[in-house]
Amino acid sequence: MIDQRLTAPIEVRGLVKSFGSLRALDGLDLTVTRGEIHGFLGPNGAGKSTTIRALLGLLRTDGGTATVFGLDPWRDAVAIHRRLAYVPGDVALWPNLSGGETIDMLLQMRGADPRQGHREELLERFQLDPTKKGRAYSKGNRQKVALVAALAGDVELLVLDEPTSGLDPLMEQVFADCVAERAATGTTVLLSSHILSEVERLADRVTIIRAGRAVESGSLAGLRHLRRSRIRAEVTGVVPDLGAVDGVHDLDQDGQTVTCTVEPDALPRVLGALTAAGVSALTSAPPTLEELFLDAYRA
Amino acid sequence: MNRYAGTFALARHALRRDRVLAGVWVAVLTLVVYASAAATGSLYPSVADRVDAARALNASPAIVALYGPVLDEHSLGELAMTKLTVLYAVFVALLVLVVVRRHTRGEEESGRAELLGGTAVGPGAQLAAALLEGTAIAALAGVLAAAADVAGGLPLIGSVAFGASWTGIGLVSVGLTAVACQLAASSRTCAGIAGAAIAACYALRAVGDVGPTWLSWLSPFGWSTRLSAWHDPRWWVLVLDLALALVLAGGAQALRDRRDLGSGLFAARPGPARGSPRLADALQLAWRVHRTALLSWTVGAAAMGGVLGAIAPGVKDLLDNDAGRRMLESIGGAGALEDSLLAAVLSLAGVVVTCFGLSVVGRGGADEHDGRTEQVLATATSRTQQLGASVVVATLGAAWLLAVTGLATSVGLGRDPALLTGAALGQVPAVWTVLGVAVLLFAIRSRWAALGWAVLGAVLAVGQLGELLGLPDWVTGLSPYAHSPAMPLERWSAGSALVLTTLAAALLASAWWRYRERDIG
Repeated sequence: MIDQRLTAPIEVRGLVKSFGSLRALDGLDLTVTRGEIHGFLGPNGAGKSTTIRALLGLLRTDGGTATVFGLDPWRDAVAIHRRLAYVPGDVALWPNLSGGETIDMLLQMRGADPRQGHREELLERFQLDPTKKGRAYSKGNRQKVALVAALAGDVELLVLDEPTSGLDPLMEQVFADCVAERAATGTTVLLSSHILSEVERLADRVTIIRAGRAVESGSLAGLRHLRRSRIRAEVTGVVPDLGAVDGVHDLDQDGQTVTCTVEPDALPRVLGALTAAGVSALTSAPPTLEELFLDAYRA
Repeated sequence: MNRYAGTFALARHALRRDRVLAGVWVAVLTLVVYASAAATGSLYPSVADRVDAARALNASPAIVALYGPVLDEHSLGELAMTKLTVLYAVFVALLVLVVVRRHTRGEEESGRAELLGGTAVGPGAQLAAALLEGTAIAALAGVLAAAADVAGGLPLIGSVAFGASWTGIGLVSVGLTAVACQLAASSRTCAGIAGAAIAACYALRAVGDVGPTWLSWLSPFGWSTRLSAWHDPRWWVLVLDLALALVLAGGAQALRDRRDLGSGLFAARPGPARGSPRLADALQLAWRVHRTALLSWTVGAAAMGGVLGAIAPGVKDLLDNDAGRRMLESIGGAGALEDSLLAAVLSLAGVVVTCFGLSVVGRGGADEHDGRTEQVLATATSRTQQLGASVVVATLGAAWLLAVTGLATSVGLGRDPALLTGAALGQVPAVWTVLGVAVLLFAIRSRWAALGWAVLGAVLAVGQLGELLGLPDWVTGLSPYAHSPAMPLERWSAGSALVLTTLAAALLASAWWRYRERDIG
């Protein structure tokens, strides 16, 4: 018998899945350790949802191994699903069931008691009206129904597939708080997203996938090059020579305007130099995933 | 912007999307018209034969209720088109219902209507396009039916009038469906409303044809008979169809203007804030999703059985002559008259309740496509439970509806309930076999769930055409319904019931095996 505490909740090695001639997963590796929030990042079509659906035993894989709680997701689906909750990226509800009925039903189907747990509190925090019929909810509210159903019961693993698409920024914050609270009580979270900043805020570790393969994996501190900021500044005085500063990349100068990407450690020096040169306009943005991939492939 | 901008482009697009469905449906109907027209001449060669047959038909209130009366007993055309004038016109109405709903409420429910509404399309264009498409299909069905009658050797004027009556029914159905689709936000409810309206028109005519004639004049189906297509047609009756269709279409447009895209005219009622503690597994979910439909079907089955049971006793003596017996042989089988009539009606009931089962299976396909199945399977629900839930509701629901039909018939007729309920349940193995094929198709590939309807259509077409075209027995024998005993006329046959039930079980077992192995979604 394997000691449950030692097995990683999710362990994927060389996973392959083809749809006809399309190789959706091409030797994917992914390890999610107990108690962490694991960011699963990739652009649209990278294979995030396919991976998650394989982990849920909805898809039969063509090669490699995947285990959830040390069990085979295809053969032991029911045993696994008692211990996890899943929120799909595009939530479809039953048109005739109210939101409250749907939440209670999904909880009961997992074997949880909807009268215990955080259901009422979550409805309040997400400002969700549970009496509306499924067809009457907007996309964001459908997402909330699935989120409340997933977060209300106590589970060991939360599998969240782009869960904030459709939520407004206020609700994204509520979502982030709720996930952090769950994680604080020891729940493991797999959070897929194509937005780096969302994952950055929550995740302990991230795996980045592209075309069905993991291209980066590790702690956010270890992936510091992913956290470069893109800076665009206009100065009134002499344009400083930022190329000499360690940690500055992609430097471009056009008249009085400078653009570059800056590693976190180099930010004080860059900002100091810009201030000295009389900065008149400054924008800073996190890099997009696509930019990161370009970096990764250039390197 | 022009209110109807883009109507023609949308209608063309709609016709393109429906080309296979509408094409096959109309082609089969045309073939049945041709086969009926061509076969009847040899079946009743002399005028005397026809008069006998027509009198026999008219003598039976149940047959008149089902098919409408034969107004001119000498007419070959009217005799040949007995089943087609009103009963098969229902299929024209249903085709139009399916396509008009698909391009109005169906598009709103899927959100595609919103996508289109954001383009350079006028606010009235989507409904107008659906009306236009429905009209085109109704016209096509009428023209082809007329041509098939002429090709089958029937007189030109009568054929044209007959075809026009089909187009008229089609147009009324266009209007009815368009109005129904404004009322509720659910596409399924809209279909229920439109279907109930068509059934009500049919029932009104049935009652009027055996009772006070003026009632028939209140129903579009009554107009089809009263048009008197084959003997000095009353062409002005067609104006009634047209006028009703225009009023309904105008009403639908007016209703559309008074509501928002995606909403119904009936305000959505709030649901319970908490779920029932019983709603905890796939079977309970399937029951919760389908119970309203099953209840409506139960009411319909009870009404149909009760009315037919009440009318059936009239046939006893009136039909007891040569032509009468021959007529009944052609619809049901030889033997006791009342029993053969009941057998014919119950076998029809078997086909009708199959539709309930198919709608349950089709819903399984839609659930998987939309992603609801995925959410259920991500809980502690096994694939066996998930598939089993649909199968249980479909098969037991169909059996329940047959039992209700049989029981209601016996109540209406005042005969032994056990006998007629048993006779109705005699259809169960055939119904389950067709459902088994549909479930297997769904299990092979979720997108094939709707193919069950094509299977039912093919089985019916083979049954209808096989007889008329004299196809070999093994072809007509492909239809499971052909192997159901004509109870209460015939005795229950353990052999065919066993074979069909085993076949159904084998189909379901293969479906289960396949569903556990395949990808979801």
